Formats: sequence, C-alpha cells, structure tokens
Amino acid sequence: MSRRAAGLDRTLAALADPHRRRVIELLRERPHRAGELAQRTGLALPAMSRHLRRLRECGLVAESHPHFDARVRIYALDPKPMAALKRWLEETEALWSTQLTAFRRHVERVS
Amino acid sequence: MTSRVLVSVRVRTSPGRAFEIFTRDIALWWTPNTLFQFTSGRRGSLAFEPQEGGRFTETLANGTVFEIGRIRVWQPGERLVFGWRQATFQPGQDTEVEVTFEAVGTETRVTVTHRGWDSVPDEHVARHGFPEAIFLRRHGEWWQALLARLRDQCA
Repeated sequence: MSRRAAGLDRTLAALADPHRRRVIELLRERPHRAGELAQRTGLALPAMSRHLRRLRECGLVAESHPHFDARVRIYALDPKPMAALKRWLEETEALWSTQLTAFRRHVERVS
Repeated sequence: MTSRVLVSVRVRTSPGRAFEIFTRDIALWWTPNTLFQFTSGRRGSLAFEPQEGGRFTETLANGTVFEIGRIRVWQPGERLVFGWRQATFQPGQDTEVEVTFEAVGTETRVTVTHRGWDSVPDEHVARHGFPEAIFLRRHGEWWQALLARLRDQCA
C-alpha cells in the first residue's frame, strides 16, 4: 500500500467515529473553540480534547491561538491532507475535458 | 477505495462508430500538449491493441514503445477499460480509465471515469501547482465528497 493510501486509511479511521464526524461537520461551518465543540456535541471537555487530538494527529484538524490570548485554542479544518487529492482530481478532470473536446471535434471531421 | 474523475461528452454518431473512432483514431484526436505526459518530455503516438489483454501504448519518434496500460475490458460500442500509468509512477502504481458509450437518440454520450488516485505518488502530484483560488473554492466540496464516501463505505 502506498504512503498516501495509508494516510487515507488513517483519515477514514479517524472519521469512523460519529463524534469526530460531527466535529468535522461543525468545523465546516467555521472554526470553533474546544469548549464550544464540547457544548455543541454534548461531550465533556476531556473527551472532546481526546477526539481533537486524534483529528489533529491525522492532519484533519489544525489548532491555532487567537493573537490576543495564547491560552485559547481554536480548531479549524486543515486542508493539507486533501490537497494532493484535490490537485490530482483537478488535473485529471482538465486533461479529460481537453481530450474529449478534441475527440468530439475529430468525430465531426470524420463523420 | 479510490477517488475518481468523471467527464462526459456527446458526439453525433452511433455508439459503435464512436467506440471505433475513439480507439482506432486515438493517435489522430489525442491532444498531446497537456499536464500529463506518459514519457518524460517527449510526445509520441498513442495506440490501442484492439482486444482484452492488449496494450495501450505510446510510441516515440525513435521507435521506443511505452506501455501505458493493458486493456481490461474491450466491448465495442459499449465499454472500454484500460490501465493508465505515467512514466513518473513507481512500479506497481496504476490508475484505471473506463470509457462508456451510451446511445442518446441518434447521438452517443461518451463518459470517461478515471479512478485510482490512491496509487499516484505524492511527488508526482506535487509537481504541478494549481491556483489557490480553485483550491479554496473546492475545499468544502471535497470535504463533502470525503464524508459521502465514508457514508458509502459504512453503508
């Protein structure tokens, strides 16, 4: 299995938990503080912290601090793990769009 | 588990004829100037050996033949599946292309599905930068796709 496939498996394993999936859905709306995430999912803060650590470990979620308070942790989606996939999809889509347009033109010429 | 790209086009001919032109004439219609090259820096002529197990090749001007992949399904007028490997792929790394030909009235819908991103090496994918705007615009969509895929997996 390639390195990337292993990474993807880890990503999907992290997402197999319904609480972590809920966290991802909430973070798709906007970044949240850990406390807010605990509140909105109905979990205790220590449990939420464990889930956030797991999501951070596989690079799904990134942690940052607001500039005014280093003690506050803000969580947001980390786009990096999906970047390579996105790029491949973009490039492959562009390739086939070009080629199928060329194919259609050729069909019109020879028909 | 794989990722996939799906692109389709409608052509004014029958599925049988579209399949024939797609395979027999690929050297004539394929546009070489794209991001993807099978062989590094050189462009050759593409060809299908017209049967299951046949090769899909690029032949360079000096006569060198590069095997892009093997033909896995060869159903004239209906369906074509072949392996797709670029020169930068490691041995054992492979993606797959499926082309279907569907009658729509007197025309044909030709649909290409390209799968198997999981086996493409990072180094290769990372070689081409794409504008940040596209990246950001698609961000939400990819998450949605990822979650949808997970749902499918769990179903």
